[in-house]
Amino acid sequence: MADEKTADEQHSEGSEANARMQELLKFTKIKPKAVELTGKIKVPDLKPNSMLEVKPQLLTVKEMLEHLGYPADGLVPNWKEVFLKKMDEILKKYRSVRLYMDICVKCGACVDKCHYFLGTGDPLNMPVARQELMRKVYRRYFTLPGKLFGSRFVNGADLSEELLVMWYTYYYQCSECRRCSVFCPYGIDTAEITMAAREILNSVGLVQKYMHEIIFKAQTIGNNLGMQSSAIVNALEFVQDDLQEQLEMDDIRIPVDEVGADVLFVTPSADFFASPHIESLYGYAKVFHQAGISWTMSTHASEGGNFGLFIHNYEHMKKINKRIWEAARDLKVKRVVGGECGHMWRVLCNYSNTMWGPFDYLDPNYKRPQHICELTLDLLKRGALKIDKSANEEFTVTMHDSCQVSRAMEMGGMPDGQYEIPRAVIRGVCHKFVDMPAETIRERTFCCGAGQGLLGDDMLPTRVKGAMPRMQAYYRAKQESGVNFVALICAICKAQLSKMFPTYGLPMEEVGGVHQLVGRAIVLGAKEGV
Amino acid sequence: MNGVMNGIKFMVDMYVSGIVYAALLVFVAGFLYKVYFGYYKTPQPLKIPQTPQPTTLGGVIIRMAGDVFFFRSLSKGTTLLFMAGWVFHFMFFLILIRHIRYFVSSVPEFVSALGNGAMGIASLLMVALIILFVRRLIDKKVNYVSSFADYFALALIMGIVQTGIMMHYEKFRPNIVEVKAFVLDLMSLKSPFLTMIMHPHSSPGNSLFITHLSLVAALLIYFPFSKLMHAGGYFFSPTRNMINNAREVRYINPWDKG
Repeated sequence: MADEKTADEQHSEGSEANARMQELLKFTKIKPKAVELTGKIKVPDLKPNSMLEVKPQLLTVKEMLEHLGYPADGLVPNWKEVFLKKMDEILKKYRSVRLYMDICVKCGACVDKCHYFLGTGDPLNMPVARQELMRKVYRRYFTLPGKLFGSRFVNGADLSEELLVMWYTYYYQCSECRRCSVFCPYGIDTAEITMAAREILNSVGLVQKYMHEIIFKAQTIGNNLGMQSSAIVNALEFVQDDLQEQLEMDDIRIPVDEVGADVLFVTPSADFFASPHIESLYGYAKVFHQAGISWTMSTHASEGGNFGLFIHNYEHMKKINKRIWEAARDLKVKRVVGGECGHMWRVLCNYSNTMWGPFDYLDPNYKRPQHICELTLDLLKRGALKIDKSANEEFTVTMHDSCQVSRAMEMGGMPDGQYEIPRAVIRGVCHKFVDMPAETIRERTFCCGAGQGLLGDDMLPTRVKGAMPRMQAYYRAKQESGVNFVALICAICKAQLSKMFPTYGLPMEEVGGVHQLVGRAIVLGAKEGV
Repeated sequence: MNGVMNGIKFMVDMYVSGIVYAALLVFVAGFLYKVYFGYYKTPQPLKIPQTPQPTTLGGVIIRMAGDVFFFRSLSKGTTLLFMAGWVFHFMFFLILIRHIRYFVSSVPEFVSALGNGAMGIASLLMVALIILFVRRLIDKKVNYVSSFADYFALALIMGIVQTGIMMHYEKFRPNIVEVKAFVLDLMSLKSPFLTMIMHPHSSPGNSLFITHLSLVAALLIYFPFSKLMHAGGYFFSPTRNMINNAREVRYINPWDKG
């Protein structure tokens, strides 16, 4: 159809389509409303289109879009062609997506499992319905009956601007947390489909702002916050001074770019000064100091997080991850240890080896790379840290399993180490630990509500509603067992929950990191049993 | 008159043999094509096991066996769906085993033993199907995501089960000896070619049997184009079949071998 038109006609039609699209996707500010805490997670009635208005902002900075390799002027004129070409490419490169397009039987096991559905009641937030947005296109354009008999025959959908709007809306209301795939009889992973959909949207020029701005910064500057290396050095020096002053010790350090250190420590850049993240940074520093491990942070690899994971764009993820392994070689370290972050740990643990391995230059005696909780627990077990649990006496602690940690990889080489190891660390430094209700933790954990690219302020309505299940579960543990602290191992969870707690009427101070607790309990100075 | 009857008989025989071979061809070719080119040949770039996932091959096999035989993942959610789904699949499987008696000359012990419970099994199967069907209609969430294809697959299988159950009764029962002889005839290597040159085997002249067979053929033809591919697809699901040992063993991305 496009061949019959001249290039000019096509172009002007294209820019009209783009103008319409910009109008349809225009960001509107919606005031988020938190529900009352009752301790119960109720499955809502269907409220069609209730979240249709919530759309994240589009990225419009040309320099960034060009660097990322996406169209710089909004929706491209020949978007249908580009769309199908990209989809075809992904279907050929990702078995997960290809297979999951085919084998869903729509049994409904997942319909009430998504925190966004539980929080909103919007039927398109049911995982299977979210997947169907893509499956309709798949059936129409990528199956034989669809090609032969059209979309009505296969219950498919022809490409249209309305469809793009639906994709942009609902694939940015999925936090790729994989809770639905736990209950799926075939392990269909909505995250894989969401990642693919986001990359297809990117290819036609509909690029979400928050996430892709960060991918740009991480690739060009080296961290999600866009801090130059001098700023990082300053920030960490400031933290070090603060720590030394607090503890009245001048030998505790936060080393930066020190060649020949044993450990390269990577952590989300939020840990450098955001609250409550920074408390965990104190904790890491105390652990390394007390264990006598020589460690360093890096200005080159100043970010552990890797937002490239959130879209099926392998190159983005690989580029961001590269900095860590460059830093590891340049600083000639023996081990790489990752701090508290969910998706960072997934990329570091599961994907690094594929993208930049083999790590034969690292010390084979340690897991490559290692999680800070693995390291700390090992030290605790060996008695290398002197702990005073009474420092955390005021807390009754519970733990929120971060989605990517609990459902995307192991810790300690055990299938359920990712649940047991952080809990063992917490128990090792606190007297009182209570778990939240069983259906909300471990493999069934609820996402904090802002993971995988939804932490932007423009996504607040989604974030508040998506946080509901976690908030109710916490509230119940609070009512029943007097819990007053939730320990986290993810920077995004920390940022999200420290905002959601006040929104739901709970004190912000009840949110913190696992190593915040560790840091409080370590007795510095007295070296025994190393 | 005799000529007309012979003509009709010939056409019925041609139809029955024809659909059996056509259905088998579409099913086998379609299934293998999809599994081989669609699932097996499509690369999986990264390790994405959905954890907690075993860290050894043996552990993964046990986990997958739990999913296949006991619907372990499904059992974590709604009990009704899990029970109805499992009863449906397992009873279906038993009924298939029971059908072995038509395909081998000497019937094995366990197959004939199943005969005693066959009606019970079939009834359970039907009840499970009805529950699944009704659930799609009345559960608002499931109803929202259900489309014609979902009801169609259930209805088709219900039709097969219903005609199967009816044949149990004297009034509709085909001549079992004829049926078995016909099935064994169809299994001989030269039969497809005989059908092609318009020399079909004589089929049992029982309309219920022919209906039953036609519905089965329809199911087989529908199979490779539909969600029923979950049967083969499950085994390729990367969240389930990958070993959780990314740090121990380097996984190579087939399209980025580094």
